[in-house]
Amino acid sequence: MIAHQLALIKREFWEHRAIYVTPIVIAIIVTLGVMAMLVFVSGFAKELNIAIFGAQNIAGEVERKAALTGFFLSTSWFFLVALGILTAFYCLDSLYAERKDKSILFWRSLPITDAETVISKLVTAVVVIPLIAVAGIIVTHLVNLAVTSVWVMSKDGNALLLIWKSVPLLDNWAAALIVTLAGAIWMSPFVGWFLFVSAYTRRSPFLMAFLPLVVIPLLEGIFFRSKIFAEAVLDRGGIPLFRTHELEAMIESGDWRLSGEATNLLTHIDLVKFITSPSLWGGMVVCGLFVTAAIYVRRYRDES
Amino acid sequence: MTSLVSAKGVSKHFGALRAVDNVSFEIEKGRILGLIGPNGAGKTTLLKAVLGLTDCDGELSVLGLDPFRQRKELMQNICFIADVAVLPRWIGVEQLLDFVEAVHPNFSRKRAEQFLTETKVRRDAKVRELSKGMITQLHLSIIMAIDARLLVLDEPTLGLDIIFRKDFYANLLSDYFDEERTILITTHQVEEIENLLTDIMFINDGRILLDASMDDLPATYVELMTSGEKADRARGFGPIYERDVFGKKVMLFEGVDRSNLTGLGECHTPSVADLFVAKVKGARK
Repeated sequence: MIAHQLALIKREFWEHRAIYVTPIVIAIIVTLGVMAMLVFVSGFAKELNIAIFGAQNIAGEVERKAALTGFFLSTSWFFLVALGILTAFYCLDSLYAERKDKSILFWRSLPITDAETVISKLVTAVVVIPLIAVAGIIVTHLVNLAVTSVWVMSKDGNALLLIWKSVPLLDNWAAALIVTLAGAIWMSPFVGWFLFVSAYTRRSPFLMAFLPLVVIPLLEGIFFRSKIFAEAVLDRGGIPLFRTHELEAMIESGDWRLSGEATNLLTHIDLVKFITSPSLWGGMVVCGLFVTAAIYVRRYRDES
Repeated sequence: MTSLVSAKGVSKHFGALRAVDNVSFEIEKGRILGLIGPNGAGKTTLLKAVLGLTDCDGELSVLGLDPFRQRKELMQNICFIADVAVLPRWIGVEQLLDFVEAVHPNFSRKRAEQFLTETKVRRDAKVRELSKGMITQLHLSIIMAIDARLLVLDEPTLGLDIIFRKDFYANLLSDYFDEERTILITTHQVEEIENLLTDIMFINDGRILLDASMDDLPATYVELMTSGEKADRARGFGPIYERDVFGKKVMLFEGVDRSNLTGLGECHTPSVADLFVAKVKGARK
């Protein structure tokens, strides 16, 4: 069972090279963006000297940490956006392409159950692709810190103090891992829906998947003047993963100076709230139903 | 248990269409059975039922298993080629070998590699870079390296040239087939596999028209070439089919003793193709 899953997931990498090419492309773009910014900033020599002086002598470790975390967040969110788009396309293709090129008959001539196959695609979408995105985030982070260090040194700054002694690597990375994986699980009903459409539709899976998401709320609005579908499905009330009250307090007080604790990304994450959220479990049940339907369709439909 | 496949009253309906209609047969171990029928006769549906790709009514047992409900166990001991072009185009030859090796307990990578060295298939190629013939060779190299008890070939050589087809069947006999294995094969090019088969089964409109051992054919079927007044006498024995060839009459008899016909013209055992035509057209009358 495990050996089959590993072989099946490896297979997904061969078929869908975008799984690892996309993070590499994003990493290159982000790194080039950071480099371009550094070159641009270098034009303001006087201001720069003052800023580096200030960062080294006036600012404390908390402020440096906050600034570096901000830098981390601003370079990492690209990966999450790309992850969402990649996962949607991956799921929609995963059970459709094999029917289109008729290779499904070859795959089904091997001693693998339809459940094993569909589950390998679910695991790829909800676990493997997000983990690769996190790896991309971490590698890009390190590369950008290294690039920035070289740049700081070229401006006679103390890179060791400014960057490497201040950057909260583990906090940043752990937060990225948790947010990415939790986000993927939170969005799993969409993964299930896309897998089902991919297994079911005879043509244009993209249209078949997204059309209902647009048309149903529209019709609901026209005929019932309600937004139940939109709120339950499209918004899902926002992911219940963050301690919003701390952020709210900051907004209310107008005091944006980060306290020592607030600079830690992990302090904003509330895993208990996430795991005990009924919406999470409801979503996972919906995902399970769609995946079961996808297995059923692959198993029972006559592909001739 | 020598019966590898056993069907009793197997039917498959698509709405009002009876693709397979109350079919019963047995396939024994160590046989090569040719399943022959026109397009739309129900061949593919029947094969799909045997392979557990579709559900059916009636009793069907393959290797003692229910093919539809015990597919995974079944696939460990069955291989099939449903159509030549089903290997995914994006996969590489090495990847394909890796994958099958990982998931199939009865696959011998060494054997597959041996078969491949005899072909032009490059190991570092992707399927999309191979010609149709080479894709089939690759697929067959994999299939023949699986130690399976039943091999099902549905039009395995469709669209391939004659030299390749001849080689394919020769390899199948010399490198693959033995008394422990059973092959079920369908094709339109009956003449090419006639000498290979131990049994034949004709199917038309979802029903079995003939289910016989090749060894039994000469005793049951006689083709007579005759003309003129002798033809009228021969007609008295009730040929199941009659056709004209170069001004002569060719008649096909079922269950008529050869000694009754020898005086009336040239007697021989009909080819499978002729027998098939006679059976199908005879059934329509």
